[in-house]
Amino acid sequence: MKQVYRLFKSSYRIFWNDKVSVALTFIVPLVLMTIFGAVFGGSDSGPQGIRIAVLNQSTSPVAKSIESSLDTIKAFHVIKSFKTDSGKTVIFDTLSIQEYVRNEKAAAALVLPPDTYADTSVGLYVKFYFDPKNDMEMQTVRGLIQQAVFSQFPSVMAQSGLRQAERYLGIKPGSAFNRNMASLIHKYFKVDTNIILHPSLSNLRITNNDSARGNANFLNNIVRIENQQLVGKEMKNQWATRSVGGWGIMFLMFTLTATSSSLFDERRSGVLMRMLTSPVSRTHILWNKYIFNMSLGIIQLLFMFVFGWLMFQVDIFSNFLNLMLVIIAASVACTALGMLIAAFSQTRQQANGLGTLLILSMSAIGGAWFPTSFMPSTVQFFSKLTVVYWAMEGFLEVLWRGVGFISILPDLAILFGIGALLNIVSVRQFRKGHIFD
Amino acid sequence: MIKILQITKKYSTVTALDAVTLEVQRQEFFGLLGPNGAGKTTLMNLLVGYFNPDGGTITIDGDNVTQDTLEIRKKIGFVPQSLALYDELTAQENLEVFGQLFDIPRKLLKQRIEEQLNAVELYERRKDKVKTFSGGMKRRLNMIASLLHDPKVLLCDEPTVGVDPQSRNAIFDFLTSLNKQGKTIVYTTHYMEEAERLCSRIGIIDHGKIIALGTVDKLLEKLTYEETIAIIKNPSTANNRAAFETFGTLLEEDDHYELKPAEGFLLSKFFADIEKQGIKYSWVELQRPTLEALFLQLTGRRLRD
Repeated sequence: MKQVYRLFKSSYRIFWNDKVSVALTFIVPLVLMTIFGAVFGGSDSGPQGIRIAVLNQSTSPVAKSIESSLDTIKAFHVIKSFKTDSGKTVIFDTLSIQEYVRNEKAAAALVLPPDTYADTSVGLYVKFYFDPKNDMEMQTVRGLIQQAVFSQFPSVMAQSGLRQAERYLGIKPGSAFNRNMASLIHKYFKVDTNIILHPSLSNLRITNNDSARGNANFLNNIVRIENQQLVGKEMKNQWATRSVGGWGIMFLMFTLTATSSSLFDERRSGVLMRMLTSPVSRTHILWNKYIFNMSLGIIQLLFMFVFGWLMFQVDIFSNFLNLMLVIIAASVACTALGMLIAAFSQTRQQANGLGTLLILSMSAIGGAWFPTSFMPSTVQFFSKLTVVYWAMEGFLEVLWRGVGFISILPDLAILFGIGALLNIVSVRQFRKGHIFD
Repeated sequence: MIKILQITKKYSTVTALDAVTLEVQRQEFFGLLGPNGAGKTTLMNLLVGYFNPDGGTITIDGDNVTQDTLEIRKKIGFVPQSLALYDELTAQENLEVFGQLFDIPRKLLKQRIEEQLNAVELYERRKDKVKTFSGGMKRRLNMIASLLHDPKVLLCDEPTVGVDPQSRNAIFDFLTSLNKQGKTIVYTTHYMEEAERLCSRIGIIDHGKIIALGTVDKLLEKLTYEETIAIIKNPSTANNRAAFETFGTLLEEDDHYELKPAEGFLLSKFFADIEKQGIKYSWVELQRPTLEALFLQLTGRRLRD
C-alpha cells in the first residue's frame, strides 16, 4: 500500500510539472464551459440579434400586435426598411423583402399580408421566407415566430367567436353566449375573461407556459404559416453542404498546428541544426514550413470537399474556382495560425496544448459548432476575429449561395489579411530565435 | 585553413567562450579536448555559422564565417552530436534529403551516396528505415550525411557518443582515412583516449578558454613527471592506499589506482615498500602519463568531472 501511495504521489508530481497536461485538464474545459455557458445558460444567454425582416401589409390590430411582439423578442433584430443603392430608406414590399433574405441581409422574413386577419377570418395567415444557411438558428427563428403568432390566437378566436355569435344569434342572446364562451376559453386556455369580453391589444403578452404550448398544438391546425425557402432548395444534401466547411476548417487547423510543430521534433533530433549548417538559412526553413503547410492544407480541404461530393452529393463543381479561392485563403490563414502557435511555444507539448485550446475555442465562438447569433453580443464581436468564422462564411457563400467572386471578396480579403498579420507576428517571434537556439 | 581570433560568446550571464584564439592547418586532424560544458560545442556552432560570436572573427580559407555563412557551409561538413536523421525515412532517402540541400547534381549525388554507404558498410541496408538501425549504424549514417558535398573541412562534435567499441573503432578508421585523403578535421571529445589516438594536435579547453595547445608529446612535456604507476584494484591494494599516497597523488579509476609520483620519487624505495606490504609486482605497472593527467595538473579537476 505504501508503494501505491508513493507512486500515486509521484504521479501527481509529474502531472503537476507538466504544464500542458494541467492546461488541457483544467483550462481548456474551463474556457469551453465558459463559452457554452454564455451560449446556453445564464441570464443573458440565448440567441441575440438575429436579423429578421418584417413587412406588415395588414391593417388589422392582430397583425399590428404580432409585429409589436416581434419587436420585443430579444433574439431578433427586426428590420422593416432597407436602403436602396442611392441611399434612400424604403419600406419593404413582397419582392424586396425576399431579395433582402436572398442577399443574406436577414436570416428570414415574415410577411403579414393584407388578409392576415380579416373580419370574416376564422384564423391567421402569414408568410415566412427563410434561408436555412444555419439550420440550428433557423429552427430557433421558426419557433420564436410561431410563438409570436400563436400567442395572439386566444383573443383572435374569442373575437371571431363573438362576431359569429352576434351575426347568427343577435345581440342579447349573443351577450349570454359571449359570457359562456369567455368562461370556456378561460377554463381551457387560461385567458382572463375581461380580456376576452373587452379585448385590448396592449394587454396581450407572449406567454411561454405549458398552457400556451398546449394551445400551440391545437392552433397549429388553424394558423396558416406559408413557408418558403429562398436559398438552397435545390441542394441535394443541405445538411452536408452547410456542414462540410465547418468540419473542414476545424480539422485543417488541427493538421496545420501539428505540422507547424514538427519544427520542435526537428530541433530535438538535431535535423534542424543539420539543415542550418548546410547552405540553408532560418528564413529558408520558415518559408519551407509555410509553403508545405499551406499546400497540405489545400490538399486536405480539397480532399474533404471531394469526399463530401462523393458521399453526400455536395455540389462542389458548379462554383469550383471560387471554392478553390476560399480553400486557398482558408489554408493561408490557418497555416499562419499554426506557425504563430509554433512561434510562441517552447516545446511540441506546449504547441499542442495551446493549439487545442485555440482551435476548440475558435471553433466554438467562430460558429463551427453552433450559430454565432446564440452568443452574447461581446462574444459575437470576437467571433468575427476568428479564422473559423470567415472561412465558414466563405464556404457557405460559395457552396450554399453559389455567389461569384465579388461577393466572396470581403471573406477572401479578411482571411488573407489575418494570414498576413499572423505571419508578421510569427516571423518577429521566430527571429527572437528560441526555436533555433 | 581555419583561423579563430579572439572569439567570445556569451549566453546571458555565462561566458561560453572567452577570447579563444586558434589556428588549424590544412589537412590537420585537430582535437578539441575538454569536459562537458567547456565550450567545445559552442565553438563548433560558431565555426559552422550556426551562431554569431559576440566578439572576434573566424575565417575558413580566408572567408569570414559570419559574413559569408551560406557559401562557407559548402566547404564544411558538420557531424552533430545528436543523430540528426529522419527515423521514418530510409538511409538512402535521408542522404538524398540532406545532399540536395548542397545543390549537388542528381547523378553525382546518387554516385556519392553509393560510395559513402559502401565506405561505412551500410549499402546493403540503404533501403531500410533508419528507425530499424542500431546506434552504431545511425552514427555512421549521421557521419556520411555530412560528407556528400565533399567538404574540405569536417567538423565532428563528439561523434561517438553512445557508440559500442566496435562501431567506435570503425568510425575512427573511417575518419583517419578521410584525413589521409586530405580532409581537415576538427574533432571535439571529452575522451582523452580518442584525442590521443586520432589527433595530430590537440587544444585543451576548459571554462571557455584554451588552456593548452600542441601535439600530444609536447603537451605531455608540460607534466612535472614522466611516468605514472598503475596499481590493480583488489583488497590488498585497497588496504594500502595510505602507503601509496606517501609517494604522490593517488587517483582512483574504475579498475585501478593511478599514482602520480611526487618530486624526489624513487622507484627502488617504492618497490621495496610495497614488497613489505605483500603487494605483488605483477599488480603494478609503469605507464606513460596521459592527457587526463595533464588536465588534472592544469585544472585540479578530471576530464569526466
